[in-house]
Amino acid sequence: MALDKRMPGDMSDNDLLRYSRHIMLPEIDFEGQQKLLTAKILIIGVGGLGSPVALYLAASGIGEIIIADHDKVELNNLQRQIAYDEESLGQSKVASCADKMEKINSKIKVVQLDEKLTGQQLLSQVEVVDVVVDCTDNLTTRFEINQACVTHKKHLVSAAAIRWEGQISVYHCGDQNSPCYHCCYGMREGSREDSREELNQNCSNNGVLSPVVGVMGSLQAIEVIKLIIDKGDSLIGRVLLFDALSMQWETMQLPKNPDCSVCGRSC
Amino acid sequence: MNITLKCFAGLKRHLPPHAKANAAIVEVDAEMSVYQVIDFFKIDREEAYLVILNGVFVCPTERNSTILKDNDTLALWPEVAGG
Repeated sequence: MALDKRMPGDMSDNDLLRYSRHIMLPEIDFEGQQKLLTAKILIIGVGGLGSPVALYLAASGIGEIIIADHDKVELNNLQRQIAYDEESLGQSKVASCADKMEKINSKIKVVQLDEKLTGQQLLSQVEVVDVVVDCTDNLTTRFEINQACVTHKKHLVSAAAIRWEGQISVYHCGDQNSPCYHCCYGMREGSREDSREELNQNCSNNGVLSPVVGVMGSLQAIEVIKLIIDKGDSLIGRVLLFDALSMQWETMQLPKNPDCSVCGRSC
Repeated sequence: MNITLKCFAGLKRHLPPHAKANAAIVEVDAEMSVYQVIDFFKIDREEAYLVILNGVFVCPTERNSTILKDNDTLALWPEVAGG
């Protein structure tokens, strides 16, 4: 079949039709869509944030998407984790999410990692992708992902949501002048005698408004696309803060911390 | 001196009654540090994790030494890690 002879990034007539609304955008055009089709990304966590990230980036035609999560779908996930439905209950999240992604776009490759990505396995996966998307739900994992991205000089698109609030930024871990996640939240690491306070920052303890994770996850997907096509102004060096209850947005400039123990001058 | 204090999310409860939306102009002593202002309004330093002075993040290690000026804007946000 002619389809099999195409190189990654080549587009058939059907592909041109499928991605026509992207290609119409002068910032994307044919060349930008080809970049998306040949990109490889890693999404860690496919819960509230990871669901819209995975679905939008599958629909957008990201060539290879690795999704990692060790949870199974539970009833209390369905309020906000839009990759799942009632038939997903009890299934592994990565299997169910991959199934939904492939139903949207059978042309992309979805790799499932049904495990808690950590240690050497995390490093290995980060090393082979273009962009890492942090959609996890705890600080400990976020610090480890940040460290892995600094080690391998990868872009990290990181968002978080809880209650009515969301935060998002992009970290350019290959740029010595750019801050990393640790520059912002580093004082939290190891500052507590136990993990109770950190656990209290999870959605399961505080609750979260369903569309807030959708908003923040959608913004993550936008930032991933911008990084891949190398267009626009990314959130590198800025943190966008969202308070849905008062419908207020704030932008915070985040300078690099020269004394950061992860990316600072002594590292 | 007067500064604009902005508190978001659960920290909004610390704003004085005359606050509009998430902000209030408040009077504080001259030469106060970021932490002194946070303490003055009886805000838990841990809860107000993200401290933003005139749009720029103030690292926790600099919150004792960073002195506010007249008409500065100090914004406080809680930590967010869920997903």
